[in-house]
Amino acid sequence: MREILKMVCILSLICGLSGLTLSFLKEVTTERIEEQKLVFVQGPALAQVFDKADNDPVKDRKKFTLPSGEDVVVFPAMEQGKLTGVAIETFGRGYGGDLGIMVGLDLVNDKLAGIGTTTLKETPGIGSKVAKHGFTAQFKGHALDGLALTSTGGDIEAVSGASVSSGAAMEAIGKALTIYESLKDQFATTWPSS
Amino acid sequence: MSKFIKEFTKGLWKDLPPFRLVLGLCPTLAVTKTADNGLGMGLAVIFVLTLSNFMVSLVRTSIPAKVRIACFIVIAASLVVAVELLMQAYAYPLYTQLGIFVPLIVVNCIILGRAEAFASKNPIHLAVADGLGMGIGFTLSLTFLGALRELLGSGTLFGAQITAEWFKPFGFMVEAPGAFVGLGLVLGGMNYFTNWQRRKQGKAAIDGPTHDCKTCGMCQGLGGK
Repeated sequence: MREILKMVCILSLICGLSGLTLSFLKEVTTERIEEQKLVFVQGPALAQVFDKADNDPVKDRKKFTLPSGEDVVVFPAMEQGKLTGVAIETFGRGYGGDLGIMVGLDLVNDKLAGIGTTTLKETPGIGSKVAKHGFTAQFKGHALDGLALTSTGGDIEAVSGASVSSGAAMEAIGKALTIYESLKDQFATTWPSS
Repeated sequence: MSKFIKEFTKGLWKDLPPFRLVLGLCPTLAVTKTADNGLGMGLAVIFVLTLSNFMVSLVRTSIPAKVRIACFIVIAASLVVAVELLMQAYAYPLYTQLGIFVPLIVVNCIILGRAEAFASKNPIHLAVADGLGMGIGFTLSLTFLGALRELLGSGTLFGAQITAEWFKPFGFMVEAPGAFVGLGLVLGGMNYFTNWQRRKQGKAAIDGPTHDCKTCGMCQGLGGK
């Protein structure tokens, strides 16, 4: 009995200490990891969406609060000091977990500027094709209505064999559009033209 | 002191983890597409291995024998998560390159093998020497294999173009089968070199597989030699 107690105590002690150390480390690194992710994950996706922007959308990002109380980060794209577009990162439920899409919106023409993937855990070679040009190019300059897969009456061709992944991308884009509609009026005052 | 040096240097050639002990082959094969990746993975392993040897040696007398493996795993796992967090914070591109293989260091048999076979039976300074030596040996091996594959497979070394214009890289070498071929060539080369050395010293060459249970330690308790 005493032996069992000793085993339980020591193992719990070691686990407890490990947990404590790790939670401390997590606390210390969280902020830096967020920053690194913005630079290396969101950065390239933004560059893909706004190829003409001359500002740093990651640096100029702002946090907005939705009517539902949720916080959302919006990345602005500017050309010569004038706000031309915004990008919002949203997630859809994919086949291998959350699929993160950076949805870029063109404020000048009220159209989609394009999309880029941020988090992608879809099946390599099948679902992962949603990140490829063949799929993403369909969104460049697309009007804000009629955004749906051909199977549900829209004009977006799904990636063949990957209806779940394509659906996830559409779900993310749909969410981004809802956010865009509710925040639309605040953008011009947040990033005034200089 | 001489013992310290002996424990340190054995990991560099005599018991070189991936090529002599043939331990830890999963990362050896999987991440050595470039010399950079091999080096990064190796550094992560040095960190985890040295600290896990240190901690296991530190608590070796207070851990009940029946739960020792569980304790070793908890120690190794915590260190690996620590590495993962630090890597995300300070070397994000490397973290995305190594991907799943960073968390998999937990089950890397070198970590548990050294904890069980060495650190749990030796004082702290020797355990640290062993961990450092093995870790550095592992890093050198991975960097070497990575450099070999990168050079042949993409014609670069640490990302810099060094081969001449006419050199057409063998794309095969950076694919999975190339890892096996590269590993086989290195193992063959090392065996050839060892036998050449032995012949020069007038000893008989080693022919065929040798089984040396001493470096394994798992079966020592079962009366193995």
